[in-house]
Amino acid sequence: MNAVNLPDYRTQSPAVADRFARIKRRPVILDVRHLTKTFPTHTTLSDLSLQVHRREFVCVVGPSGCGKSTFIRIVAGLEALTGGEVLVDGRPVTGPGSDRGMVFQGYTLFPWLTVKRNVMFGLEVAGQPFSVAEAEARQWIELVGLGRFEDAYPHELSGGMKQRVAIARALAAKPRILLMDEPFGALDPTTRCRMQSYLLQIWRQVDITILFVTHDLDEAVLLSDRILVLGTNPSRILEVIENPVPRPRSVDRMLSPEFLATRHRIEELIHGPAESEPATLPNIRLTMAGDDVE
Amino acid sequence: MAERSHKWLVPFGQLSPGRQLILVWLSFLLPIAAWAAVSYVPFLWHPLMRITDPGSVSYFTRDSLVERKTFEAENQKAIAAGGAPADGVPANPVFLPAPHEVATAFHRAFTSPPKRKGDKWLHESLWQSIQVIFWGFTISSLIGVPLGILCGAFPLFSKITEPFVDFTRYMPAPAFGALAVAVLGIYDPPKIAIIVIGTFFQQVLVIANTTRKLDTSLVEAAQTLGANRRQILLKVITPGIMVDLYNDMRILLGWAWTYLIVAEYIGASSGITFFINQQAKYRNYDSVFAAIIMIGLMGFFTDRILAWIGRQIFPWQKTDKPGLLRMLALSKQRKPEGAAP
Ligand SMILES: Nc1ncnc2c1ncn2[C@@H]1O[C@H](COP(=O)(O)OP(=O)(O)O)[C@@H](O)[C@H]1O
Ligand SMILES: [Mg+2]
Repeated sequence: MNAVNLPDYRTQSPAVADRFARIKRRPVILDVRHLTKTFPTHTTLSDLSLQVHRREFVCVVGPSGCGKSTFIRIVAGLEALTGGEVLVDGRPVTGPGSDRGMVFQGYTLFPWLTVKRNVMFGLEVAGQPFSVAEAEARQWIELVGLGRFEDAYPHELSGGMKQRVAIARALAAKPRILLMDEPFGALDPTTRCRMQSYLLQIWRQVDITILFVTHDLDEAVLLSDRILVLGTNPSRILEVIENPVPRPRSVDRMLSPEFLATRHRIEELIHGPAESEPATLPNIRLTMAGDDVE
Repeated sequence: MAERSHKWLVPFGQLSPGRQLILVWLSFLLPIAAWAAVSYVPFLWHPLMRITDPGSVSYFTRDSLVERKTFEAENQKAIAAGGAPADGVPANPVFLPAPHEVATAFHRAFTSPPKRKGDKWLHESLWQSIQVIFWGFTISSLIGVPLGILCGAFPLFSKITEPFVDFTRYMPAPAFGALAVAVLGIYDPPKIAIIVIGTFFQQVLVIANTTRKLDTSLVEAAQTLGANRRQILLKVITPGIMVDLYNDMRILLGWAWTYLIVAEYIGASSGITFFINQQAKYRNYDSVFAAIIMIGLMGFFTDRILAWIGRQIFPWQKTDKPGLLRMLALSKQRKPEGAAP
């Protein structure tokens, strides 16, 4: 990609700058302080600090194996940290809880429950009476556009529908922050694209803060307010990018100069300015002369 | 894949329903046909001769079975001595009755009273066996199922019970027979105890393994939805393994049947085993076959019925044959249309 003509990704239009100023005035929902995660063999996350404000949308990107999943699982309380601390609403995370909802990449709907009962799960375990939980679940199912499928079982739904139910189920438990680990990674490109705009719409309509892991850079730039770029060997934060692409976002923004500049910057961060892979392969020929494809 | 569908042998392929049905029937008909062939085609096997006319051979009697060699030797002797040769037809040994004889015995077992007073009818014997199985399996399951689930779910339970259970299950259940009789008497209790011992230890291990196979991300999802330990056990793990648990139980029940025969030898021999032994003593091998086939039929149909029930009570299973309840539910609701993501 030709980077010369692209604007600086740090230049923000007045509207975008104003938006960031407003976000920063909001209370901090997720406060990660000097988080370290060491496995017996190696350190996956070291000294990671990040503050996420209320209703902010933060994406986490980085090369595979850099610890994105580990990070989000620690925030969810599904994995223990080995150093630093993670605060949600000022309270340290000690284990999983309903204040941090999670949507996984794999489909984790309970196969033995209908869509409605899946969405009611969080409400029921919180002790809500059945009728209250049912009424509330219906609203969430309507919100993700699956009202007609409330009595269907998960195996009767397509992948995109399953993930929408998973989002509804997580939101119904009224978390403070929604953690999503490559939730659209297993979907086909068309469905993924539609899910991204659904998610943006849901995020606008619901008071929710989102921490979203992805390896799809376009997805990160399309969705996020800020992008946490993680590096590996040694593990570190490469940069936290303030996304200059104005909102509302839609797929046609993906060709705007800000979008391309941001995307280019992330690529540069992850792959390094001088690509480690050679531009062409050595010239070794295994076909007959005159048998050219071009 | 039209081309695939007319091949009979495709690795991991699919057969059309019609072909499947043909094969299902063949799987029963072929053994029966083989049995019938050996029974009715005179030159297949038939190592003996049934005497129809003893002729002048002194120790031959009508309807007795003799080796072919003896038959021929005696006949030559008889001819040499100027007497009349014996007459006979090829026959199978008494322990291989022909299908029609077994069918008659099957019928007779239900219609005519037992030869000896005090002996039980086939159905009475079976009923006694079923009760022993039922109680043995129920008692084992009442403890084994919850314990198995706990072992699968919590390493604490697994580490404190499984090594011992693993150790005990290598001891053959019948080895406890004498002990069971000493403690529990000679009637049904020791037999039930053998079924329990034979089932319980396997059950704990099998169910613990089934529980461990549950997709842990379901448990994690429940945790992030705020479920506590008890709720995870009761609302996620238990329903999550239910289909596999049910199938395990079907298999375990089959094993319990194999322990039954041993169990019934213990103390006062009883049930279907006693029936079979009595009939064997009278050399009524046709009745012995009838009883064995009866056990097979019962096991087979119990399993089919349980499989059918399984489809009814687990409507969330992905299956090409949805249960009745699910079909009703589907016909009532507007059917989900795939496509729309
Ligand atoms: N239980 C574990 N034991 C040892 N190493 C682990 C364990 N879980 C994850 N890791 C390591 O942590 C690193 C980050 O993994 P992960 O968070 O899944 O990466 P990402 O999601 O960014 O692809 C990987 O290199 C992996 O080897
Ligand atoms: Mg990952």
